Amino acid sequence: MSLDFLAGFTIFMLALIMVVSMVPGLLAGLESSGIDYDAVAYRTGVILVEDPGWPVYPPWEMNDLAHKGEIERIGLAVSKETPNILLSTKVDAFFNDSFFDRDDYRRLAIFGDIPYSYNFSLSSGGALIEQTGDLLPPGYGYIRRVVKIKEPAVAVINGSFAPQYTAASSNQEFIVRLDFGQLLDPTIGPAYRIDPRTEPVNVTITDFGEYLNMTEPSVTNATLKSVTFWKMDPTRPIPQFTRIPFAYNIIDSNLYTLYIGGNQNPYSLRPDGGVEVSDNISLVLKPAATSLFTLDQNSILDIRFNFDDDPSRTNITGIHHYDYNQTNVTRPDLKPGVLEVAVW
Amino acid sequence: MACMNEDGQWIVLMGLLTALGLFFLALIINQSALVGQTTAEGVLEFPKNDIRDLRSAIFDYYDSYEELNNDLDRQRYVEDIVRISLERKNAVVHFENGTPQDVSGRMLRPITIHYNNGVTEYHETVYY
Amino acid sequence: MVNDSGQLYTMEGVAAGVIMLLTAYIVISTTSIYTPGDTHIPDMQLEQLGSDVLAMMDTPDTNGVKSDLEKFVVGDDSAGFEGMFLGYCNAKAIGADNLHMSANVTYRDASSNEIRDYPLVGPDNTWTGRESAVRVTRWMELEGNPSGVSGMDPSRPRVVLVEVLLWRA
Repeated sequence: MSLDFLAGFTIFMLALIMVVSMVPGLLAGLESSGIDYDAVAYRTGVILVEDPGWPVYPPWEMNDLAHKGEIERIGLAVSKETPNILLSTKVDAFFNDSFFDRDDYRRLAIFGDIPYSYNFSLSSGGALIEQTGDLLPPGYGYIRRVVKIKEPAVAVINGSFAPQYTAASSNQEFIVRLDFGQLLDPTIGPAYRIDPRTEPVNVTITDFGEYLNMTEPSVTNATLKSVTFWKMDPTRPIPQFTRIPFAYNIIDSNLYTLYIGGNQNPYSLRPDGGVEVSDNISLVLKPAATSLFTLDQNSILDIRFNFDDDPSRTNITGIHHYDYNQTNVTRPDLKPGVLEVAVW
Repeated sequence: MACMNEDGQWIVLMGLLTALGLFFLALIINQSALVGQTTAEGVLEFPKNDIRDLRSAIFDYYDSYEELNNDLDRQRYVEDIVRISLERKNAVVHFENGTPQDVSGRMLRPITIHYNNGVTEYHETVYY
Repeated sequence: MVNDSGQLYTMEGVAAGVIMLLTAYIVISTTSIYTPGDTHIPDMQLEQLGSDVLAMMDTPDTNGVKSDLEKFVVGDDSAGFEGMFLGYCNAKAIGADNLHMSANVTYRDASSNEIRDYPLVGPDNTWTGRESAVRVTRWMELEGNPSGVSGMDPSRPRVVLVEVLLWRA
């Protein structure tokens, strides 16, 4: 009996071995796990290009390292109503490798169950302008989105404004005024709006020679004493300007940058002893600073350039309105670009 | 055959269990290949860009509502959107507006949009 | 000593082996391998790309001007439209893609209440023997008839549908 048992069992085992050796052939179809990669890449592409991120206001890109945990989702769109239009400040914050690390990208943009490798590239005008991630392997999931990038506006005050902004009896104070009620006009679409709360305010005064007091031929420059910020709330019963408390003496490039002349080093807003200005002044006020000023959508923000010379060497005066007038503020065109997301 | 000898049935039972295991494995593998496929088909099927485009077209209509100075032009405009949508996009579209109301200082009219392409329905009331 | 009561085990073994082999054969012969084309993923990528490009062409770069797409349709500018559309589609970070397109404009003839269309960009020599094409559309509001197009009903403010076929050659 046992011999027949062995014979039967042997036939069974032989058949089992043949079947088990065929099973790896069944799993051949599973090598196309790359099918999942395209879906993840598509979803990440949608989050980056069509979503402004979360939190929307205050914007996620204004969080510093200490508050990075408050960011829940990274999105680059200007707003929910303007998909495919990216905000340049969000783009700069997203591609900042020193702020975000791999885990952050996976947690805040990719949202996958397994740790995917990624590569994000943004190109515009035929050239690659931003990239983060690893080198592309032979096979990966991919999506390409065509976008337009919104750059911040610049107020350029050059020599052509000299007739307007000079007066013999000047008080040596030049004001750039931002009326938030006018700037945040809801009839202007978010893609074309100037929003100092989310974009930097850029004021550049050039051809300063036109603003010097020409009655004294020896005058070649004027002394900039300080740049101060003032705010007013027009909805109050007696509106008046109050100076905003701010660390004017400290140079903090996360809050503002002030360059004078051809000097490579930035200045503080109240440099000791004043600075001689002969050619140009360039001030960029970043949204992180504007958020410290506690302004609301009706406020008026003044940026006052004070020159202090006795006798006065410049006769610059007047108020330059930072508004939608094309001569006052240059708004750059939307720049076409391509965002590529690769996931593997 | 007074009593059937059932001693060896366990071998057949093992064979049967292996066969069932193979069927189960095949089922799992078959379903796994569909993961990416149904995602892509789901994306193709949902008319996200169509609905966004339609909303933008309707808003442009209401932007030029005042300039279309007779009702015949307005009616033809609406008829364009409805007929072309039905014929080329296979979607039934209906939209109408109410009287302008004051919304936080601006006069906006409530617009009701209905969209149905047989698979997805979209209904919205928006102030514009 | 030799009897046939143990034949049972042999028969059981053979039967079990036959069942397993039969199952394995059935399972392997029914497993289907999906090609990427079956999964519609390239179609999805192309459709999203085409919709993006039409939407971006319909967004003016500065506030208050006409968009590029509107200028091309109003002027019936076939070369300009094709040039800008393919320029956006084929742009990549490194290198360029190889996509082709054709376009036509669908309008409603109010006098006969029919839906008609006219070609805006004709297909090129990759029209035959190509992969399946994807259709993307965009609504276009016109103040009158596009210039140079014959056979339309009298000029009136109208809405047309720009349809673009996009394929990879």
